Amino acid sequence: MDHEAAQLEKQHVHDVYESTAPYFGDLQSKAWPRVRQFLQEQKPGSLIADIGCGAGKYLKVNSQVYALGCDYCGPLVEIARSRGCEVMVCDNLHLPFRDQGLDAIISIGVIHHFSTKQRRIRAIKEMARVLVPGGQLMIYVWAMEQKNRHFEKQDVLVPWNRALCSRLLSDPSQPGRKPCAHPERSHPYHPPCSVCSCSVCFKEQGHSQRSHSMDYEPLTAGTCCADISKEGEEENGFSNMLGKSFRSWFFSRSLDESTLRKQIERVRPLKNTEGWANSTVSIQPSRHSSLDLGRHQEPLSTREQSLDEDVFVEASQKQLEWPRAPAARKHLRGDQQGEVRRNGDGNFLEGANTSENSMNEDDVEEGHPSASKTLRRISALDSTDSNSEETIPVEEQQPGILDSRAFMRYYHVFREGELYGLLKEHVAELHVLSSGNDHGNWCVIAEKKDNCD
Amino acid sequence: MKPLPHNLPSPHVRGVGPRGFPLRLQATEVRINPVEFNPDFVARMIPKVEWAALLEAADTLHLVEVPKGPIEGYEHDEKFLRQMHHVLLEVDVLEGTLQCPESGRLFPISRGIPNMLLSDEETET
Repeated sequence: MDHEAAQLEKQHVHDVYESTAPYFGDLQSKAWPRVRQFLQEQKPGSLIADIGCGAGKYLKVNSQVYALGCDYCGPLVEIARSRGCEVMVCDNLHLPFRDQGLDAIISIGVIHHFSTKQRRIRAIKEMARVLVPGGQLMIYVWAMEQKNRHFEKQDVLVPWNRALCSRLLSDPSQPGRKPCAHPERSHPYHPPCSVCSCSVCFKEQGHSQRSHSMDYEPLTAGTCCADISKEGEEENGFSNMLGKSFRSWFFSRSLDESTLRKQIERVRPLKNTEGWANSTVSIQPSRHSSLDLGRHQEPLSTREQSLDEDVFVEASQKQLEWPRAPAARKHLRGDQQGEVRRNGDGNFLEGANTSENSMNEDDVEEGHPSASKTLRRISALDSTDSNSEETIPVEEQQPGILDSRAFMRYYHVFREGELYGLLKEHVAELHVLSSGNDHGNWCVIAEKKDNCD
Repeated sequence: MKPLPHNLPSPHVRGVGPRGFPLRLQATEVRINPVEFNPDFVARMIPKVEWAALLEAADTLHLVEVPKGPIEGYEHDEKFLRQMHHVLLEVDVLEGTLQCPESGRLFPISRGIPNMLLSDEETET
């Protein structure tokens, strides 16, 4: 099983990043504020590793620490190296460091690429092994619960279409590079407007002055492109263009547990995407609210460097606490998993902007009811029953929805509390300090206990 | 790849003793990159230095003027700090290998990037 899991990851993680790395080289993408903060809080002279550094976005955040980047993907590591970062190619499961050698580690958008629970645990334990006692580990993984998007299952394949990206890159009307980052923004909120089926609708609601508002603010479901405010002209043009081009790309395929297991065990190289038609992969129709063209987050990962991690850092000092994600909780319809500890009291706060928090809430409040309606509506239309999805052969889908050139990336999206639970139950050497939700990611900061390992 | 001794990876090859640290560095191409001297930063790195490994790497790289160990009051000794600054931060191995002293397994360094990936056989559980 482990070998097969590795094969799945090779095909739908490693090979994809390797092939798509050249397209990410040019794109500048900024760091998630909360991750930046974690790095900046480390003591000067610390030895920090970014396990899954991608093209090295976080490696230069803090010049007072010695940062090492590690990634499985050679081409991405080369990009980081060309930026002057100290990097190496290695495997998260076999870190080439001695025990207790590192002062801090970040793992941003990496663990969700491991296809079995056991491998995810191993990855975390391996990072714990190389931490000094008292050293901290920050982990970000893509959340299953998204405000305006719905993952049917936890194991999904997400397409990435390089042709689209190239088209965007060459479009002269584009406002610089930022637009190209949009399609790759894996998770946060790019809900397709359920009314007009536009892939991306931005309703800025006055959030544009916030650092990453454009990218990550939850959109009120049901708004149309027409509602885009004038504040962000760039985004206007971009989203209009996106609306035309991207519609067909916003879907993700779900693998239910049995399917995933079959797929893992099959270990069959798929020459082209038609191969999927023969497998029992559940395919979500394009109108489904999955807007995943890239990796989560940001940062991301072993991979992490990709178009999706474009964060606008105009106001990077704001929002230093975990934003509560009440919408996500509501989505779970009362499934409040109490074990996720919130840091809502703002331990990380330094002059937190409370008005932003209230804006956040307003968003949520406003967005929630329609979001629910949207989900329900989509469900009715698109028949999310997994059986029917599995029977949709690839060929019968509308043209344009499936591009044989699209790369499919595997993700295990995490449920609320899952990451926390994983550490608590399986990684005794780590003590969880805080956990929360940040822009559609579940995040945890943990500390290596003394006298362990 | 900079030869920060604690940076020197330990191969995670199964069957190789407890963490076979440190690896032996061999270099066929080395570059010296000027890096702005930050005495505070260097001073903070000193406690982390594994001196035996550092000296071995320095020897391999034919570096001269490498302190043999921390000296009394090093935090304020500019000469000492500058020497450490040079060896820790300005030396860059572009091509070479890292070798596990126990198994002999070689890891390549190319274009400044060490590749520490293990083969499937080496990672078999």
